[in-house]
Amino acid sequence: MSNLIFESVTKVFGEGSSKYVALENINFKAESGQLILVVGPSGSGKTTFLTIAGGLQTPTEGDVKINDSTIKSLSEKQQTKLRLEKIGFVLQSYNLVPFLTVEEQFKFVDKLKNQNLTEQKMHELLSDLGLLELLKKYPNQLSGGQKQRVAIARALYTDPDYILADEPTAALDTDRSMKVIELLRDLAHKRNKIIIVVTHDLRLKDMADKVYQIIDGKMTILEK
Amino acid sequence: MFLAIKEMLHEKLRYSLIVALIFLVSYLLIILTGLATGLANLNKAAINEWDASSIVLNSDSEGRLQQSFLSQDEVASLPNNGTRISQYSTLVKSENGLKENTQLVGLDSKSFIFKKLKITSGSKNIRNNAGVVSDKFKSDGFKIGDHLLVANSSLRIKITGFTPRATLSALPVVYISPDTIQPLNKGVTNAVVFKNKLKNSKIPKGTNQLSISSFIKKLPGYSAQQLTFDFMIAFLYIIILIVISIFLYILTVQKLPNLGVLKAQGVSTQYLILSTLFQSFIISVIGVIIAIILGEITAITLPSEVPIVIDKSNIIVTGIGIIIMSLLGALIPIRQIAKVDPYKIIGG
Ligand SMILES: Nc1ncnc2c1ncn2[C@@H]1O[C@H](COP(=O)(O)OP(=O)(O)OP(=O)(O)O)[C@@H](O)[C@H]1O
Ligand SMILES: [Mg+2]
Repeated sequence: MSNLIFESVTKVFGEGSSKYVALENINFKAESGQLILVVGPSGSGKTTFLTIAGGLQTPTEGDVKINDSTIKSLSEKQQTKLRLEKIGFVLQSYNLVPFLTVEEQFKFVDKLKNQNLTEQKMHELLSDLGLLELLKKYPNQLSGGQKQRVAIARALYTDPDYILADEPTAALDTDRSMKVIELLRDLAHKRNKIIIVVTHDLRLKDMADKVYQIIDGKMTILEK
Repeated sequence: MFLAIKEMLHEKLRYSLIVALIFLVSYLLIILTGLATGLANLNKAAINEWDASSIVLNSDSEGRLQQSFLSQDEVASLPNNGTRISQYSTLVKSENGLKENTQLVGLDSKSFIFKKLKITSGSKNIRNNAGVVSDKFKSDGFKIGDHLLVANSSLRIKITGFTPRATLSALPVVYISPDTIQPLNKGVTNAVVFKNKLKNSKIPKGTNQLSISSFIKKLPGYSAQQLTFDFMIAFLYIIILIVISIFLYILTVQKLPNLGVLKAQGVSTQYLILSTLFQSFIISVIGVIIAIILGEITAITLPSEVPIVIDKSNIIVTGIGIIIMSLLGALIPIRQIAKVDPYKIIGG
């Protein structure tokens, strides 16, 4: 069983008069098999939360634990390995390597992880996300939504235990957004993953197992 | 090195530009080192052929053959396995009007230097005013059996053989016997050359032993010329280092966002650094190889008056030098890659 735990996490940017508390005393726990949504207005601290969860930033106070080990106690090498093997990131911007075709983006992941996934698996994922015709295209030949879907596919491709997605549906229409969320929910439920999706799209609320709201750096759970 | 290769193939223009730059500077370097070697050879080739290790000259001569005069006593008190050298620079003409500035070198036909001389054509005979001459004479149209008329003298030297790589202070050498050179320099011995270094006790007062390499350094103009080349070559290395650094720096700055994302996705810093070093290595190898090929072609097509010698050791040294420079040039970009914080890039 995987889990992700925040223990009294506070993140402060800057010092003195420019000091800014982006996250305040956050306690949070996610367990395998859950699709968790984090909503909140712009600038409220959602991306900060997600990057701390993935170990890209360290909290000013408090601890983040993945599978019961504290991230900040891991060496940089171990953190890199953790990201490569356990975490799939879908970021808000710059997700794809500009000089690799869609197909090569996946091959690159294969090479890094020394995994030999079948073509079939890639094709399944891509057809689920409606991307099969795009295999030979470079990122600059894709629309915003297509890019986002490729990024999602790539994050899922390595079969990570955790998927951390920052506004993965921002560039998608309602239909596609629903499809993506359904796909993520299925993964969480059937394959026992932990999936955290940051969004401001409240229509997706019903699909999630839990919904948290961040406002001004404070996190509360929303009753559904 | 999947990422490195894919990137270079996708960004052909950018990477071709760096390759072109490296090529240009390497080409210049190869030509310059070729000229440096060529000119050095012109100055010292004959001496190298002697295959000697020391030379005894007059102490007051500052190592200059022309200014060194050894007395008969001094010569007599030196070991007799040395080769006595008399030297005289002059203009010679053939009977059909060909002219050549030369170094006449008088030595005994039993001396180790003369025994060592190689012959490309003709025979090795310097009896009775015969001479073995530099094959530069052959390429300038002189033939075996031609007579060389020495300016301001009634001396006629008959060409019996041609010998390769015989230039001294950039002039072709004519080897003749001591008897033949006697009327021109009044029988003076300028220096005695030894196959092995002499013990200091064997060197008479008033004379001075120099190793052949320091003798070469003291050839008129030799050191100044080589130093000039060395400076130009050193500057070119510095320039290539700066140019590659700047280029790679700009390229890296442009792709920092991607590097940040790759790091976020678990690509190690080490992988990204190796990837950049690999690119540096590849572009410099390609640039150097093109430069070597063009350098060789240039050396072949240049008129033979241009003293350019592109030898293996030059090419190896220059090639490795440039590859090292371009790896050094990758150091600044590597620092940037190491410092990139995935979070800073992602923002949002
Ligand atoms: N490196 C930083 N230095 C200083 N302040 C920062 C830094 N990163 C984020 N902040 C601040 O922290 C707050 C939270 O930022 P965050 O990126 O988490 O917002 P968000 O909820 O993801 O917003 P959005 O919906 O617009 O993406 C913002 O007010 C932002 O200005
Ligand atoms: Mg954000």
